[in-house]
Amino acid sequence: MIIHSLTFYMFAAVAVASGVMVISARNPVHSVLFLILAFFNSAALFVLMGAEFLAMVLVVVYVGAVAVLFLFVVMMLDINFREMRHGALQYLPIGGLVGIVLLAELVLVFGSWAVAPEAADVATIPTPDPTVVTNTHALGSVLYTRFVYLFQAAGMILLVAMVGAIVLTLRQRDGLRRQSIAEQNARRKSDTIEVVKVPSRGGV
Amino acid sequence: MNPMPASEAMVFSPAVPEIFLACAAMALLMIGVFRRSDESRTLSTLSVATLAIAFVLVVIFGREPARAFEGLFIVDQFAVFMKALVLIGSASAIVLAVRFNANEGLDRFEYPVIVVLATLGMMMMISANDFIALYLGLELQSLSLYVLAAFRRDSVRSTEAGLKYFVLGALSSGLLLYGASLIYGFAGSTGFDALARVLAAGAPESTWIGVVFGLVFVSAGLAFKVSAVPFHMWTPDVYEGAPTPVTAFFAVAPKVAAVALFLRVLTGPFGPLVADWQQVIVVISVGSMLIGAFAAIVQTNIKRLMAYSSIGHVGYAFVGLAAGTEAGVRGVLIYMAIYLFMNLGTFACILCMRQNGRMVEDIEDLAGLSKTHPMVAAAMGTFMFSMAGIPPLAGFFGKVYVFLPAIEAGLVTLAVIGVLTSVVSCFYYLRIVKIMYFDEVVEPFDRPIGREVGAILWATGLVILLFIVYPAPILAPATTAAASLFGG
Amino acid sequence: MVDFWASYAWPTAKIVLYIIAIVVPLLLAIAYLTYAERKVIAAMQMRKGPNVVGPFGLLQPIADGLKLLLKETIIPAGANRVVFVLAPMITFILALVAWAVIPFGPGVVLADINVGILYLFAISSLGVYGIIMAGWASNSRYAFLGALRSAAQMVSYEVSIGFVIITVLLCVGSLNLSDIVLAQQNIWFAIPLLPMFVVFFISGLAETNRAPFDLPEAEAELVSGYNVEYSSMAFALFFLGEYANMILMSAMTSILFLGGWLPPVDVAPLNWIPGPVWFALKIAACLFVFLWVRATFPRYRYDQLMRLGWKVFLPLSLAWVIITAGVLVAMDWLPDTIAG
Repeated sequence: MIIHSLTFYMFAAVAVASGVMVISARNPVHSVLFLILAFFNSAALFVLMGAEFLAMVLVVVYVGAVAVLFLFVVMMLDINFREMRHGALQYLPIGGLVGIVLLAELVLVFGSWAVAPEAADVATIPTPDPTVVTNTHALGSVLYTRFVYLFQAAGMILLVAMVGAIVLTLRQRDGLRRQSIAEQNARRKSDTIEVVKVPSRGGV
Repeated sequence: MNPMPASEAMVFSPAVPEIFLACAAMALLMIGVFRRSDESRTLSTLSVATLAIAFVLVVIFGREPARAFEGLFIVDQFAVFMKALVLIGSASAIVLAVRFNANEGLDRFEYPVIVVLATLGMMMMISANDFIALYLGLELQSLSLYVLAAFRRDSVRSTEAGLKYFVLGALSSGLLLYGASLIYGFAGSTGFDALARVLAAGAPESTWIGVVFGLVFVSAGLAFKVSAVPFHMWTPDVYEGAPTPVTAFFAVAPKVAAVALFLRVLTGPFGPLVADWQQVIVVISVGSMLIGAFAAIVQTNIKRLMAYSSIGHVGYAFVGLAAGTEAGVRGVLIYMAIYLFMNLGTFACILCMRQNGRMVEDIEDLAGLSKTHPMVAAAMGTFMFSMAGIPPLAGFFGKVYVFLPAIEAGLVTLAVIGVLTSVVSCFYYLRIVKIMYFDEVVEPFDRPIGREVGAILWATGLVILLFIVYPAPILAPATTAAASLFGG
Repeated sequence: MVDFWASYAWPTAKIVLYIIAIVVPLLLAIAYLTYAERKVIAAMQMRKGPNVVGPFGLLQPIADGLKLLLKETIIPAGANRVVFVLAPMITFILALVAWAVIPFGPGVVLADINVGILYLFAISSLGVYGIIMAGWASNSRYAFLGALRSAAQMVSYEVSIGFVIITVLLCVGSLNLSDIVLAQQNIWFAIPLLPMFVVFFISGLAETNRAPFDLPEAEAELVSGYNVEYSSMAFALFFLGEYANMILMSAMTSILFLGGWLPPVDVAPLNWIPGPVWFALKIAACLFVFLWVRATFPRYRYDQLMRLGWKVFLPLSLAWVIITAGVLVAMDWLPDTIAG
């Protein structure tokens, strides 16, 4: 058990530390790299909880796809870091104040945390025992049945995001010559090549 | 292995209007893409037809109160009423945009499709019976609106509006989620039915600080969406920057949907905590009325003016909600219905403000409108008088129906502030009338104003004028809707 | 003390031994894959290939490795030092850690986890980080272009790889790699899912940045791309990582489509041969195709590469997921673990 706690604290500490580095690193690329580290440690925490499916999906989706694109964009941006930091310092008092207020509220809430006595009865679906049912199975059996409405709604949101991105950025450019593979493949030798018998000294 | 037989989970008939709208939106998108033409008139027509069919479906499938998808989705008279308003607002936004988009070079088929998708999101919000369903509906709506705000992508102001709206909207969604998670942590469920049970069981003797904080955060998140003070900062900039038909859409449909959320969340699961949220709503309401009345006075841009005016109107509507009674909710519903028609009409007038093929937005540009466009000026005048709350126009009754329940509930001070701020707001509404009727023409607006805009003007103008004669089409459903929220 | 030994030290030591037992042969395989590549391509081009160092040039990879080891590690002046050094390490480590879940035979696997195939997918999708970090940290135009190309390319082809994996999972009903192999006792998935097999293999070429999709290191325009500034061991790690990824991709292909350690047919002389040998043979066959493709096809143009990924493979694999699911449900062929 002690090993379990030690690993937990290790991953948790690294996750928090890299979270801090994300916002304090001088170089935005380093920020993204620390963000990735934070994702990794969160995934490890999921594994410790026995939620292996979520852990893997976190890595595949966030680290493998989202953060790559993020890194891609950040690397290509030409940001004046010094100016950005200057702005950040300017707003530090206000930001800090909001942060302290939120922290105080959190302390207040969790200091006197109570759970409704009926809370256990209203839980919609009990968490199955991970030794009997695998995570993947347990998630799948409610995601597409009980929560199909939410699943489909999330799908619609992604559709809107996609349409929106295209609407706002896609520009039709004139004068482009596009490759049409079908047309290329449909071309026959007889359409394009003509063998001409050139008489000597006559020219074509 | 399966926790439940499939047939039980698949109760979806109450959600048929939403399912239809989702499928239709995707079909419209396909039609738009494969037609390979940016001309949007056909798609606008189809989209309006889609919304009309959805309206019919909402009425047909909303006769009986019902729950679908394991209680994630609820249909009752309240939902039907609000969805009807949203559908009217969305359809009008599409109709208003047809000519505008063509003239401004924004003629893209995605516009009506995104409006339909936003409408879907709003209908999901109105029917949400669970925090997750609520959040997903809200995000579907908001994401569509962000895109619409930035729809004129070559204009700095429009993209700025979209970006501002996006950043602040994301922040408000975060607040909402934070609040919802606090509540979930306390109650062990996100479903409204279960929450109502848990909160009712223990509310009288003690108040849990976690729930109250959650409630405050949820209210803050929702207040962002209705642009109530102190979360109104984005409204003037976004209203000014977005293309005018989009502003018209923003001013009506999302507001109605978000107010519906407020009503359902506060009177449903948090009904037992009325004492806690009443103070919050009173503060929001007073703040909105004051800002709406005083900040609007100095505006010179008509769209900014309308933004402050809409902030004020949310304040008035919340007077009814603060009462926390069935009569108060009924007042809010009537107020939102009348507000919808007034605003649509006003924006139709604003869309007529075109000089030499160019849109103008200054209030001064309206000078002498009564001489060049007497009908438009008369309509605009009607809407302004109605917004100011001058009898016998509809706006007056809207205010009466929210102030009376508040007085009955003992919130006399709130009602008095409401009346006083209405008097202040008369100043800027009537100033517009004065400019239209008594100032000299500088440069006349273009004509014709267009059939679509004219039709909307006539329709909304008649609703506002005739409400005193024949109020039943709004009053009767609002009464049953309010009853369904408290009875069920 | 005894307790400590039995519950902590011994399991740790055992795992370390297993890891060594996997990694050492793997490193040898990588070394000789480079040799095989040169020999195979030479044979296809009617040349001799390496034949000087040792008999038939067999010591050539050792000599190459020694040479790289002894060279000086150069870090360019404008480079971001930490990231620059980190990048090859990440590439190489990722190429090795994936082997933890690969089943070499019935029960012969280091970590038999429930979500093995997701783990493999996750690790292979991380491979891009080594390249993108190297390209950025080098502070060189060529390297950066190579990194950008590879990021776009790998993310694009991962999508169709994901769908192919889903198709296979539908037929298996488990994410465990041993279960996936065992589900192919009657027939290898390469036969019923032939189009997906082809899509997977081609996407695998793109995912490992191999010819004809080796644009990230296109020597003609990018003078070797993302690793142009690297030298010595840092370069060697990239090199090893790339070949380890090839072997890994071949192993994935054999597990998903060619029945892993299973013999082609379960009859007498064939099933005498132990599983790991079959597995190695199948990997070798896949690797041969990797090399064969390199010797045969010219490099793709970048827009063609993107077109193939997004406009051909993505719709195809998506459609195949739906078809497979439809057929399985209609014929009531769903594996028990799903239907149960």
